[in-house]
Amino acid sequence: MDNEKLGTAIVITSGKGGVGKTTTSANIGTGLAILGKSVVILDADIGLRNLDVVMGLENRIVYDIVDVVEGNCRLKQGLIRDKRFEKLYLLPAAQTRDKSAVKPEQMKELVDELKEDFDYIIIDSPAGIEQGFQYSIAGADIAVIVTTPEISAVRDADRVIGILEAKGLNNPKLIINRIRPEMVKRGDMMNRDDIEDILAIGLLGIVPDDEEIVISTNKGEPAVIERKSHAGNAYMNIAKRIIGEEVELLDIESSEEGKFSKILKMLFGK
Amino acid sequence: MKKESITFKGVKEGVYLEIVGSDIKQIKNELKTKMMKSSSFFQGTTFLGVKADELTSEEILEISLVLKYKYDFNLRIDGDFFKEIIKSYQDEETGENLLSDISKEGMTKFLHGTLRSGQIIEYNGNIVVVGDVNPGAILKARGNIIVLGSLKGVAYAGLDGNMDVIVAAYQLLPTQLRIGEIIVRAPDGDVSEYRLPEVAKICNGEIVIEPYLPNK
Repeated sequence: MDNEKLGTAIVITSGKGGVGKTTTSANIGTGLAILGKSVVILDADIGLRNLDVVMGLENRIVYDIVDVVEGNCRLKQGLIRDKRFEKLYLLPAAQTRDKSAVKPEQMKELVDELKEDFDYIIIDSPAGIEQGFQYSIAGADIAVIVTTPEISAVRDADRVIGILEAKGLNNPKLIINRIRPEMVKRGDMMNRDDIEDILAIGLLGIVPDDEEIVISTNKGEPAVIERKSHAGNAYMNIAKRIIGEEVELLDIESSEEGKFSKILKMLFGK
Repeated sequence: MKKESITFKGVKEGVYLEIVGSDIKQIKNELKTKMMKSSSFFQGTTFLGVKADELTSEEILEISLVLKYKYDFNLRIDGDFFKEIIKSYQDEETGENLLSDISKEGMTKFLHGTLRSGQIIEYNGNIVVVGDVNPGAILKARGNIIVLGSLKGVAYAGLDGNMDVIVAAYQLLPTQLRIGEIIVRAPDGDVSEYRLPEVAKICNGEIVIEPYLPNK
């Protein structure tokens, strides 16, 4: 086929659990679909699947990633089309199996096949650095590290960046999730610069802590769709940066005050 | 032409095969199709023997050997014991067999407690859960499924295409429901919760869910 797309595979990973990998995967994937890209989000957390619930697609699952890898069904049968966006698909994880069901080579083969039909393949990696993490990164071109502004999450992120680089996945990008501007201002929370100092990788975006995420997760509707929340806007900006648009960090995203107030300060010394 | 028929009968000592008719070729064919459908059903059960009044002893032996070597039956060679068992299940006056074909109805598995996400129960018969089935848990039965609690996971009844089975629960709120070859899911959006037991079955090629009315 001369019309083959050659998509980009992006793995969302963190090392630490509970920092928002699945939420990030769902929102980035949906965001890219809103921007008109064809996207498949792949849940690699076999045995503890969540992405289908967050996307509100749980009741549509017939086959899963293990069925596809083991050849119980064709790849097309395993893909679930999103109920809102036509170009968005989900390949759910198996719930009744464990991480030994998929091998890195099989994952790479699968991702390579998906790249022929999709612009972006978003791989939602499980927590940890064991088997599940190993096969999740096998087919990826780009790694996105999610961390929260806590020393433990940053430490794990640092470890993961090291492993990724050893595996040849260079230049991972960073998302700082659940930042609370007022706490940063008080000096009670690590700010953007503290985290960037330690991790020394490119920043893809900052997502504020937002109640709206809890609501949207429970509704099975990624926050990026309605975009009435700060977090939803932040995720949309991240999706735009992924497709190459230049988007400034939102006020809420920057660590201290907005750029404008900084300039005022410089001018008037206030 | 006379109809040849074979049926597996279950007694508490094990199972046996009852054959009516004498066309050995047709009997073997029928056995083959029957075993294709339900070979795993008999795994691990004790096979008592073949009851066939119209066949020769060589033919009976042949069928026993096929069951033993081809389908891995656990054969118990004890002719007298078998005869006694057969006798005890016959109607004294008419001589008619009182047992039904167990490979049709299937046996029933009882599960006590909550089934949680990731747990899968597959059974070649009916399943009764005395407890809840949480989202992410899967029940697969060749026969019917009854849940004495809330069914929020996935339920497949009639695994081999049987459309005459039902799925019933005290709270029938499955993520997905399959009966025979038909798959349905809950509608998107909020569904008002119905607090009484409901039964799902197939009506005119569609899965319908109706309230369970005890007086009906």
